[in-house]
This record gives sequence, C-alpha cells and structure tokens, in this order.
Amino acid sequence: MAKNTNKSYIDRVHSWGRISSVTALCALLMFPVAICLYLDVFPSISGILQGLLKLIPTYWTVAVVEVIVYTPMLGAGGTYLSFVTGNIANLKLPCAINAMEGADVKANSEEGEVVSTIAIATSAIVTTAVLAIGILAFAPFLESFTENALLKPAFAQVLPALFGALGAGYFIKHWRISFFPIIVMIIVLVFAPTMGASTLLFFGIVASVLGALFMYKKGMLDRVKD
Amino acid sequence: MDFKTSPALYAIAGAVILFVLGQSVFFLVKAWKQGRALGIDKAKLRNAVTSSALFTIPSALSVLATVIALAPALGLVIPWVRLSVIGNLMYETTAAEAAMEALGHEGGMAVPVTDPEVYAGVAWVMTLGICFSLIILPFLAKPIHKKFMAASQKEEAAPADTNAPADEKKKRSLNGFINKFATPAIFIGLIGAFVARAIIGGGKPETFGDGAGVLSIITLVVAVVVSIALEVLAKKLKLTWLEPFVMPIGMIVAMVAAIVFFNVLPEDIATLEWRG
Repeated sequence: MAKNTNKSYIDRVHSWGRISSVTALCALLMFPVAICLYLDVFPSISGILQGLLKLIPTYWTVAVVEVIVYTPMLGAGGTYLSFVTGNIANLKLPCAINAMEGADVKANSEEGEVVSTIAIATSAIVTTAVLAIGILAFAPFLESFTENALLKPAFAQVLPALFGALGAGYFIKHWRISFFPIIVMIIVLVFAPTMGASTLLFFGIVASVLGALFMYKKGMLDRVKD
Repeated sequence: MDFKTSPALYAIAGAVILFVLGQSVFFLVKAWKQGRALGIDKAKLRNAVTSSALFTIPSALSVLATVIALAPALGLVIPWVRLSVIGNLMYETTAAEAAMEALGHEGGMAVPVTDPEVYAGVAWVMTLGICFSLIILPFLAKPIHKKFMAASQKEEAAPADTNAPADEKKKRSLNGFINKFATPAIFIGLIGAFVARAIIGGGKPETFGDGAGVLSIITLVVAVVVSIALEVLAKKLKLTWLEPFVMPIGMIVAMVAAIVFFNVLPEDIATLEWRG
C-alpha cells in the first residue's frame, strides 16, 4: 500500500509538521495572553510596537534565511521540530549532523531523515528536561542568589560575559568579516553613546553583511573553508 | 511576594512547555517506527538517541545558564519559556533588551523589572518577535525540502565530473554568498552590537552595569580569551568532548572574573564607567 512507502512517510511528516507549527504558534501566543489575564494588566500597544519595530526587520529576515538554509540540512521532521524548539545553530543542527555521521547516513536520504528526526527530538526532550530540572531546583534560591552582594557584579556584567563567550567562536572563524562591523558600531557609539544594543545591531548587521559581500565579491573570502 | 515568582506563572509556563515536549515525543516515536520499517538496525537508532542526549547536555546547561543570567531582570518564567520554545541564546537577550528599552524600563538587564505591565509587554515583544518562522514554515518547508531531496537523488544518479574546471564567477555568485556568509555576517552584526556596547556604550550615571567601563572590558576580554583558549586546546588535543563546554565555561569564568576584579580593584576604579 502506498501508505507504507517512504514517499508517503515524508508527506505525512510534512502534514504533521504543518499542524505542529500552527498549534505550537497558538500555544506560544497563549503565553503572553495568560500572563496579561493573570496579572490583570495590558501593556501599551505603542510600547509593544516600538519594541517589535526594532526586532522585526532583523528577526523576520533571519527567520526566512534560516528556513531556507537549515531545511535541506535538517530534513523534514527535523526542520519542523527544530523551529518549534529553537537553539538550531548552536544545538539542533550540530546534533543532527553528529548523529547522521555516527549512523553513516546522508542528509536528504530516507535514513538521514529518520536519524536526523530522532537526534533532534532527543535533543529537544533532553534540553527541556535539563531546563525544567534546573529551574525547579534553582527557583527557591534565585532571590538569595541574585540579591547576594558578592554576586551582584557578575550579574551586572552578564551581557559582556555571554556575548564575549558566544562571539569568540564566530570571531575566530570569521575574523576577516568581523573587524568592519565592530569598528562601524564603535564609531556609531562615539556619537550616540546611549544607543541601546537593539538599535545598534541594525548598524552592525548592515555593515557586517555589506562588508562581507564586498570582500566576497573582491575574492578576499575565497580561501575561507566551509 | 514578587509577582514574577508566582506559582501560577510557573504553571502557565509548564503547560506551554509540556505541549511542545509532547510534539518532540510524537516525532521521535514516528521516526523510530519508520526507521525500523526501513530496516535500520535497532542498535543504530538507539545509538542516535544516546549520542544525541550526551551531545545535548553541555549545550543545554549553557541554555540554562542564560535563563539564570536573564532571571535577575525578568524572573525565571519568561526566559524559561522563551528558551524552551523557538528560543535562542542570542535572540532572547536582544529581544528582552529591545522590549525593555521600548517599554521605558531604565537600566536594561542590569535592573529588575518590577512593573507587571512592563513584564507582560516584554513577554509580548519576545513572543511576537520570534514567532515568524512558525508562520512561514508551513508554506516554505515542504517545497524546499522536496527540491533538495530531488536534487540529491539526481546527484547520486549522475556523479559529478571531478575534472570539470571550477567556474570562478559562479563561485562568487550571490547564492554562494547567502549560503556561506549571510548567516555568520548577521550573527556577527548581532553579537558585535553587545561587544561594542561593552567597550564604549554609555548608560545612566546612577546605574552600575548599564554602561561600558573597567569591569565590562575585563569581563569581555576574559570571556573571549578563555573561550578562544579552550577552543584551540580542544582542537589541538582533539578533545571533542570539550567543544560543547567552551561557551558555558567561558561565560562562567568571565562572570567569576567580574566578581574577583570588583573586590580586588579599588572601588573608584572597579565601578568606573567612562560614558556614564
């Protein structure tokens, strides 16, 4: 029967994936709705729109690029699950590649589809469990932890620590394209020191993409390995 | 009691997360059954589960570290949901900062949110900002996936001519740029914004930690140096198990360095923020 062929399995995965994307979207949107109802508040729509205006041009563009770039690598089931559970570049994608290499199967093959989905589903379940256990264990101590005078400087400097550690790998791998955007942003901050990171990153992303494109067209990135 | 620690908020978060967890279990069971139907060895499938679980734990701990790092400003519930559903280390911190700025919360991540209205607004901005991929996925994923499945099957049927000369022009096409450099360039622009702010950004003179200063530079340098040193070490000594730990270790060591230098340096130097 056609239902048992792999083609039909892939088609069914796409049907399940479409349903899971829409239902996950609804569940996700219920979260702020539930918060507003529980706290009996409704924040100013103009404030929300102002915040979104800073994010949408970048995040929604990145979302399109990510769907196009990651889908071929993650397979059908892996794609739907990864976009629902997040942390794709830093977790789900390397996890799927690792599992496919371990099982000696190719992405975009029938076996690759299965192994990639198993790897990403496992990764999502483990991440959810680690977060849930960590948070429930940590919640009772949070206040004493963050209000502790000794630890306060560490929490005040969480952004340099997080982005320094996260950026190090990118800067080392893509050092050729890193200098220009950072110099541009430093110049912007010289003239507008209090500009928030969410506004500043527009300048950074535009400078970074245009700078990289220029270097690419001039052949300055030809020797960069995949 | 701080409203951010209310059990009801934890219950709301738990319900959303359980729903998404159910989807992962569903896909896992279906893929496992299909794997068996294709004749893939049970041991191979079990190995995929075990290796993926082990691979995930260190990165999951770094995600947990981010949730805890965002908690002083936002409590645990919002970062927990945002990093369990669609979330990402980079996007969530940026979104939280943008939301706070737009909703008039002064001091950013360095100051706890105490106004429920701002708290709810941050939840809206972070959710709506990140959800676009789920809107486009039902339309784009199937055609893209089918196209690549067909292309790779075609490629397998007709092996590439290895003697064909490389086409330099094609090599530098816009598609080539998008495939190879667009995502890293966007990430660097995004990460660079926070790095530049830690070097020269200004804040409010009365708030410590919201502007660049001695401590932000020390923390940034320690995070970068430790992460690069660990990455080089992992590569040179082929310590593959160390690679997923590089980012969380770099972040934690940098935060510890902030505590040490804050206590060791004279107060006027440790709290110096050159642009307020």
